[in-house]
Amino acid sequence: MTFDLRTTIIIFSLALIILMGSLTVYSVTSIDIYYFSRFLLISIFAILLVTLIFNQINLNRILSVGWVLFILNIIIVLSVELLGNEVKGSKRWIDFGFLSIQPSEFMKITFALFVIQYLRFYSFQFNPFRTLFLLAALFLSAIPIIIQPDLGTGLVYILLGLMLLFICGMHRFYFIIMGVFGILLSPIIYSFGLTSYQKSRIISWFSSDQTLSEKWNILQSEISIGSGGLFGEGFLNSKQNEFNFLPEADTDFIFSIYAEQFGFLGVLAIFILVGLFILLTTIISMEQKRLTDDLSPYFLGTYFSLVIGFSFLLNILMVSGLIPVVGLPLPFFTKGGSSLLCFSIMIGLIFSSRSFLR
Amino acid sequence: MKDNRFAIYHGRTRLLLAFFILILAVSVGRFFYLQIIKGGELRDLREQNINDFDYIYPKRGRILSKDGIVLAEDRKIYSVAIDLEQKPSERSIQIFANIFSNRIDFESIKLKVEQSLRSRRSEIILTKIGQEDLAKFLVRGEELTGFSIIEDYERQYDSHPSFFHVLGHMGYLNQSDIDHFSQKIDKYNPKLWRKVGKSGIERVYEKELQGKHGKKFFQRNARGDRRVITSEEPFSEGSEIIVSIDYSAQKLAYELMQGNKGSIVVIDLKDFSIPVAVSAPSISANDLRGISSAQYQELLNDSSRPLFNRAFMGLYPPGSSIKPLFATFALSNSYTDWEETIFDDGFFRFEEEQRVFNAWKEGGHGYTDLNKALVESSNPFFMNLSVKYEKSKFVELLKSSSFGSKLCEDCYPHQYSPLIDDAWKRKNFGKELFKGDFINLGIGQGYMLTTPLHLSLIAGMLASKGQYKLPYLVKENDLDFSIDVEMEELDWVKLNQALIDVVYSKNGTGYRIKAGNLNLAGKSGTAQVVDINSREEYEEVRENPNLRDHAIFIGYAPFDDPRYSIAVIVENGESGGRIAGPIARDVLKDLLDDI
Repeated sequence: MTFDLRTTIIIFSLALIILMGSLTVYSVTSIDIYYFSRFLLISIFAILLVTLIFNQINLNRILSVGWVLFILNIIIVLSVELLGNEVKGSKRWIDFGFLSIQPSEFMKITFALFVIQYLRFYSFQFNPFRTLFLLAALFLSAIPIIIQPDLGTGLVYILLGLMLLFICGMHRFYFIIMGVFGILLSPIIYSFGLTSYQKSRIISWFSSDQTLSEKWNILQSEISIGSGGLFGEGFLNSKQNEFNFLPEADTDFIFSIYAEQFGFLGVLAIFILVGLFILLTTIISMEQKRLTDDLSPYFLGTYFSLVIGFSFLLNILMVSGLIPVVGLPLPFFTKGGSSLLCFSIMIGLIFSSRSFLR
Repeated sequence: MKDNRFAIYHGRTRLLLAFFILILAVSVGRFFYLQIIKGGELRDLREQNINDFDYIYPKRGRILSKDGIVLAEDRKIYSVAIDLEQKPSERSIQIFANIFSNRIDFESIKLKVEQSLRSRRSEIILTKIGQEDLAKFLVRGEELTGFSIIEDYERQYDSHPSFFHVLGHMGYLNQSDIDHFSQKIDKYNPKLWRKVGKSGIERVYEKELQGKHGKKFFQRNARGDRRVITSEEPFSEGSEIIVSIDYSAQKLAYELMQGNKGSIVVIDLKDFSIPVAVSAPSISANDLRGISSAQYQELLNDSSRPLFNRAFMGLYPPGSSIKPLFATFALSNSYTDWEETIFDDGFFRFEEEQRVFNAWKEGGHGYTDLNKALVESSNPFFMNLSVKYEKSKFVELLKSSSFGSKLCEDCYPHQYSPLIDDAWKRKNFGKELFKGDFINLGIGQGYMLTTPLHLSLIAGMLASKGQYKLPYLVKENDLDFSIDVEMEELDWVKLNQALIDVVYSKNGTGYRIKAGNLNLAGKSGTAQVVDINSREEYEEVRENPNLRDHAIFIGYAPFDDPRYSIAVIVENGESGGRIAGPIARDVLKDLLDDI
């Protein structure tokens, strides 16, 4: 790993993001040092561990078991139905005491490992069979995630999976076909495929009735954000959090509390840090000129950078009321251990892709 | 071909990167909008979320008698309520039940605690605990977690029953109260008030007495179960109301009724305030406070009607006590003078209808002039006059002496004496007034009905030569009124003398009052409860106490410079002079002794 300016900026911005994330978690968890230290432990150790492991052992070895990890992940997701604890009507957790894991989070990673392993075998050349095979794998593996039931995670999983196939060069014809079908099928999916809970989420987003609880959540989130003003209320001074007006302030809506504490300037700072980080990691991952080289690091690096970037944006759009509420955590800003672990592993994978290891 | 593939990879990644940056820019715009443009507005919403307040119930104003004695006031009481922030533990419920085992048991406390926690409302467990119980609670306060003492006020009245009707009472706000007060009080907010004045001064002066709520500001969380009190704005106590009642005279007057039904009303002629307004029987207003609806129903159904304010509401035929008023009318319209004499043989023959009316005195009064007719109360003399009355002038007299109109602005409830005119009779009997009606009206019988308050005012009119004001309890009424008669000064002197003779001459119907140096002038009356046509019927009626005549006395004292007018009505008391008169004497004596 060479420490040129870009790498320095990447490391610096990541460190700041993790620091702000951990402080925000500390502020929303009733100032609990446990969550604060757990956050730092998981993120730093996971990133370092994954980076070091992948540096030491050949990436090829990991990729060669990609499909095993993918299948294993699906099995674990399915078994959560039997083993998982029920959280707000959704069974999706495995409790390890220190950490409760939502295995479906890791599907984004294992699916990518599987796809890249598969395509590498064919030198990343698509043909109709491979295309349909990968699409089938994507949609079939999304079913357990959607059924669990967590439509939000399932949809995000499919979108990110399609993004991976897009990056890897799948013919645009398939995207057009899927786009057309998606639009045509959406009313049918809405009528028959959604539970009333999921429908209420969608309805509330379009309705102006503020009494609906989903709308109320969004309103409270906007109140938190707006109350921050330009400079914010200051660290540990979020009243919306202190008086429990914002539901899920410690997970999905944590950024609203951040915005209340640090104001628009704080928000801008995070946007710039995240923007720089994503931009630079993506650009560095793209610096691969020869096709004779193994293309896997290119795809791993760009894909995971963009996954982190778009996950960040989806949550930002959600908390600021621009898209419906999907239970999607903000990278590095969450009390949830599995999301943190998942994003840390992605960072580790980006860092260990070969472009960084020149 | 191979380079082309790279171009696709790079192109697609760059496309996604551009998309990322675009959305990032949109997000920046969105946060700018929320935090900078709408920041203030959203911040206000947050403050509304968090900051709330409770009302602090105000202390109601006191009611004092004219001589400064407290007749009604709010006293602090203590109750035990459930503290929602520290839920009562099983153990503290047990300890609580042991301490107050005589008032409440473990199971019912537990039930209330559960209800309270479920509804998130601080339920009251024990109301009105005494000093001893309060001390017991405070001593073991450490162990009694989850229970707290709350302070409240309770209306406490002077327990003497004579004050109930004047002061009135408090009761829970209902729809008719809301309608009533919405008209009387600006921006009346019924949600703020639990109990309101239902009658008497409490009702009329609700606005003045009620005071203004304080506010306890606090910050609360979304579920409302954690509160931080930030500041407090104290309530303002209701205004003090001074009522014109004379404390000792009022009590004495009630005692003098000796358990009889009836009413005594005194008017201070200096300003037309009401120092005595008694309605008997009565109850203590304190007894009405925690009364059950069955007990209340019992009081309502009581045949002696203790809840009925006879002083302002009772309608009685005034009988002979109205004669002096009609004497002024007859003199002023020259229907008679002080010289005219008739022979009273105990009967009045009404030629037009060929009817014979018999008077109260067997054998009659013999030769009778106006003075004698007043002193000895001759019915035939006044019947003889009343057939001459012109209807329109008679109605004018009644109107000018406040028949058919409200007498007292702050007496509640209040009934006015009906104005007997053609309209009234048509409404009640479908016919117009005819001559024969005046024969009964002329001696205060028939359709004629007055309230005790009105009778006292009529006595006041006679005392102050036809000039009068409307009586009041709290706020003086400045309008001047006068009865529609034109009398010479000499006529007033002679009338005054006749009313003195009623009390002081041997023939006077009030001679037995033995008014002594009180200088009392007045007129007795006896009002028939039922129409009696013969002496046989009269004897029959006497057997039944409830059908006996009402005893009435109206008067004023001292006669040379009148200060007080009075009306006394003793239901079924039979003799105005003998029964009602002495009561009037004692009440006026008490009042005049105080001066």
